[in-house]
Amino acid sequence: MVVIGVDTGGTFTDFVYKEGSRWGIYKVLSTPSSPATAVLRELQQIGWEKKKQITHGTTVATNAILERKGSKTALITNKGFEDIVEIGRQNRSRMYDLAYRKEPHLVSSGLRFGVAGRTLSTGEELEPFDVAGAQEVILRLRELEVQSVAVCFLFSFINPAHEQKIGRMLGKTGVSVSLSHQILAEFREFERASTTVVNAYVSPKIQEYIGILMEGLDDQDRLAVMQSNGGSISARTAMKEPVRTILSGPAGGAVGALEIGRMAGHTKLIGLDMGGTSTDVCLIDNSLSLTVESQISGYPVKVPMIDIHTVGAGGGSIASLDVGGSLKVGPESAGADPGPICYGKGDQITVTDANLYLGRLIPEHFLGGTMKLRRDRIEDHFQRMAKEANLSAGELAEGILAVANATMEKAIRVISVERGHDPREFGLFAFGGAGGMHAAFLARLLSIPSVLVPQNPGILSAMGMLMADTIKDYSLTVMRNELNASYEELSALFLELERQGLQDLKKEGFAEEHVRFHRYLDMRYQGQSHEIVVPFTADYVASFHNLHEKSYGYRNVGKVVETVNIRLRACSTPDKPQFQKTKEKSAPIATRAILGDCKVTFDQEITETKIFARDKLSYGNKINGPAIVTEYSSTIVIPPFARAFVDEYSNILLEIME
Amino acid sequence: MKVNPVLLEVFQNRFSSIAEEMGVTLHRTAFSPNIKERRDFSCAVFDRDGEMIAQAAHIPVHLGSMPMSVKLAVLSTPWEDGDMVILNDPFKGGTHLPDITIVAPVFASGAKPVFYMANRAHHADVGGMSSGSMPLSTSIFQEGLIIPPLKLMEKGLVDQKIMSFLLNNVRTPMEREGDFSAQIMANITGVRRMEELIHKHTLESVDFYAQSLMDYAERITRHTIQHIPNGVYTFEDFLDDDGVSSKDIRIHVAITIQGDEAILDFRKSDHQVDGSINAVYAITLSAVLYVFRALVEEAIPTNEGILRPIKVLTRKGSVIDAQFPAAVAGGNVETSQRIVDVVLGALSQALPKAIPAASQGTMNNMTIGGTDPRNQRSFAYYETVGGGMGATARGVGESGVHSHMTNTLNTPIEALEYSYPFLVTQYSIRRGTGGKGLHKGGDGIVREIQLLADAEVTILSERRRHSPYGLWGGEPGDVGRNTIIRDGNLVEKPGKFSVSLREKDIIRIETPGGGGFGKQEMWGKEQQQRRRP
Repeated sequence: MVVIGVDTGGTFTDFVYKEGSRWGIYKVLSTPSSPATAVLRELQQIGWEKKKQITHGTTVATNAILERKGSKTALITNKGFEDIVEIGRQNRSRMYDLAYRKEPHLVSSGLRFGVAGRTLSTGEELEPFDVAGAQEVILRLRELEVQSVAVCFLFSFINPAHEQKIGRMLGKTGVSVSLSHQILAEFREFERASTTVVNAYVSPKIQEYIGILMEGLDDQDRLAVMQSNGGSISARTAMKEPVRTILSGPAGGAVGALEIGRMAGHTKLIGLDMGGTSTDVCLIDNSLSLTVESQISGYPVKVPMIDIHTVGAGGGSIASLDVGGSLKVGPESAGADPGPICYGKGDQITVTDANLYLGRLIPEHFLGGTMKLRRDRIEDHFQRMAKEANLSAGELAEGILAVANATMEKAIRVISVERGHDPREFGLFAFGGAGGMHAAFLARLLSIPSVLVPQNPGILSAMGMLMADTIKDYSLTVMRNELNASYEELSALFLELERQGLQDLKKEGFAEEHVRFHRYLDMRYQGQSHEIVVPFTADYVASFHNLHEKSYGYRNVGKVVETVNIRLRACSTPDKPQFQKTKEKSAPIATRAILGDCKVTFDQEITETKIFARDKLSYGNKINGPAIVTEYSSTIVIPPFARAFVDEYSNILLEIME
Repeated sequence: MKVNPVLLEVFQNRFSSIAEEMGVTLHRTAFSPNIKERRDFSCAVFDRDGEMIAQAAHIPVHLGSMPMSVKLAVLSTPWEDGDMVILNDPFKGGTHLPDITIVAPVFASGAKPVFYMANRAHHADVGGMSSGSMPLSTSIFQEGLIIPPLKLMEKGLVDQKIMSFLLNNVRTPMEREGDFSAQIMANITGVRRMEELIHKHTLESVDFYAQSLMDYAERITRHTIQHIPNGVYTFEDFLDDDGVSSKDIRIHVAITIQGDEAILDFRKSDHQVDGSINAVYAITLSAVLYVFRALVEEAIPTNEGILRPIKVLTRKGSVIDAQFPAAVAGGNVETSQRIVDVVLGALSQALPKAIPAASQGTMNNMTIGGTDPRNQRSFAYYETVGGGMGATARGVGESGVHSHMTNTLNTPIEALEYSYPFLVTQYSIRRGTGGKGLHKGGDGIVREIQLLADAEVTILSERRRHSPYGLWGGEPGDVGRNTIIRDGNLVEKPGKFSVSLREKDIIRIETPGGGGFGKQEMWGKEQQQRRRP
């Protein structure tokens, strides 16, 4: 059997596969107009007529929303509340924009319908469901040739009767149906409706895409899709709940960081994925940090996702001086076209140009020397901007990196400090094309003691997909407090979710004894409206007080503690490829890996620096900074204040000495 | 020291990230829905003189007014490490009583504070004649507890005498206490971060770049004003009434643009009034700061530097520079919006393409108080409702959104019905209420709440008589409407009223639309011309 991880990105589709003890890595150009083409073609190359177990990271759902190319979708809700998705939370995301416009909603006002019937916060029915009214709406949907329908009634998570009724009526019409209590059984109607609408909007697209993939595969093959929560799920399930695949690709990278880190003995890591236009950061504290407060393109999506924070700083970020004399870097990016100046076409200085200017990118080794970097094109641009900024060209180049690093530092603070973690207790796990060039500097800024750069950092997402558990998340708003619900009662509430979880994972092909459940509660002090997630144990109230104090610095023992939602995570572990440890330790000095010398600027000093080839380095090698390590798709900068060694899994570890 | 463009940018990032981290702490730890769900708060960093260095992008009306509070707090007392001062007095740097500010000093091992951290949050009740503390009052004494600058914390310990005094004078003491601790925690977060910053970069350079960032914001603001044609531009508009009588209240501005400086003269505005819509000077300053901040296209820090090229002239005792003991509850929320309307109206003559028609021009404040029959506890609910935004040269106005001086969130219906004895019976866009024109103004909102218990209701709203203006031939937006529905009968209510209602009564708020931009027929002509071969 071949196990394969496939990650479709904007430019490249990456493949990692393992057959027996043999590993393979592939990078091919994506085929954006029909992403399945590139995927199927390469899958056949890898394993024609062999049994394949594939985990796939797809951007189909994400792109359908970003490009607004989803299906014609309608929303059915309570009469008088049709505009909830348009009003949202009534605030503006850009406060000082006098011509502010919201992102137009995925469902236009002509496709939003109200049906009479009202359920109360207790679950009681105040007004019965209007069957005749619903029938009229369904007729209208037919006339309008709607392809997908989202349904969200008030308090449906407590009493789903009205949603179930209309769900059955819609089921007979053949349209794709998303019911809010099934997609997200939690209170706050706008966020629930928005999540359900996103699901409905992308459903037919995903169904079509997965359909094409399955057709191109054999019956014996197993296709799974990477979800935003860091777990994979069978393609069939993914078709029903595509809203859970919005962060499919980046989630792969985060899981890769978790698993490779864990293998090498690192359980507290901050993932740093620096690419061409942006940088994604995430936090690992034994497991990946999750959030239920994500948005895509301005639409809230409240299913659990890995807490990935993205900022507009990448290799292609453009540097400029504003009218007030401040140096700005990003969020505008030169992208792949025209790209940085040194790629030959662009004429605006980027982060990549600054790295080249300082000697930290080695033109002969960039992408194995297949792409010429034009050092000659950048000099004039740097001289010109430096003069304007009243700096030397070298100061400007290091300044550009300092500003980009400040942006990334802020992103790391958001996922660590703002969530109650001290970054000094973590290691930095750097990947993506540019992660290794900036990681040591960022670590120093945040007093992070060490940096890990895995092998093949450019294809970590595909690697992570091979290593993901199968996971399904469930939640339900129960709105209890410690006075009116005991541990036993809450436990009983979990049983129904567990029954569902077991059933679903059996369908995924796992035996009952291999299914693990993790129970959590979303808790708060009564009167608060922000919940924190607490593992459910017999002394869950005490755990809540402790966690609250850890996150926010105080506890309030006199206050009644509320349990807002219960959360269940059902997981199982499929066969994962094992990595081999290198047993033989090499000598510290890596003479055979030295490619040559170059001159690199660090803190305005031009320093004689050795260049190493990553693929010639082995377990036990040590490198003192300054040094540059090159490989096909990335470069690692080891500054004078760091030293590196290679571990048993061929990861490079940097130790920050300041 | 010479300003380095790299460090300028890096420090801008650092200061704003400190203010944002304070905001995250406050938001996450606060108790009341008003602060947590609606995020009605602001956090900022100040220098040793109380000049604002950076503010997190929270609520515009707090922008210009926070510095005045902090400056007064700074002078109010000798400071020691671990102290914090609380205040809300509108005549001593506050705006209206529910907005409570807490200030903390940062010492860098010297004898005197070198920076101050402060945050302001809108509390759902601070006592006074009606629950929610947004009354139709005629004197500040009816509006709640007036807190002069007082040391709430000394050397790291909360003064329990002051705390207990405050809590005994409000309707929801538990909630207030929770919110106060959240405000204190936010400042502690800020102080800690600032100390780290000083430790890393030395006090000298932190100080230097704090000043440089104000100079920087000033340079960019001057650059922006430079691009406004020189001249004198006047505009006036009216508030509907003050809630006591039904007389129009004039707000007038004459803006002189001269090179890179602007003088805004409000002295022809009406005298302060009996009702609660008087604005103190801090609010007028905030409104002006908001407009100029919005005109700047660059991503600059929001700080004191923006105000340096701008002079604001007012007449003491006028409705936009009210003096003690004027009633001011609504000045912060309603009059601030009208000040923005007149400043924008004047500037539209100079910058016809950049300035939008009038937005809804009100926050539609709704307070409901009573006893929840489900648990016999008293409750105080405060909420504001969005409306239409004015159209611009670029396109239509947005519908159902808060504009200009506020940016608070709504309370989700399901959260509302869990927490209060209410049933929401309608929440929708009020279609067709935006002013017609080449570009249509945004539509208002309809929000209907049925009471499930007897309650005291106060509505403080504007633009129920004077509609939001259109520009360049665009029609005005529709005025708003307030209605009570009892046993199926509709009773029209004025823009500002206070009433005791019974269980089952429905309060219906219809908010104004935004003004239109450009003549409607222009569109037709353009189309015809285009069709011609």
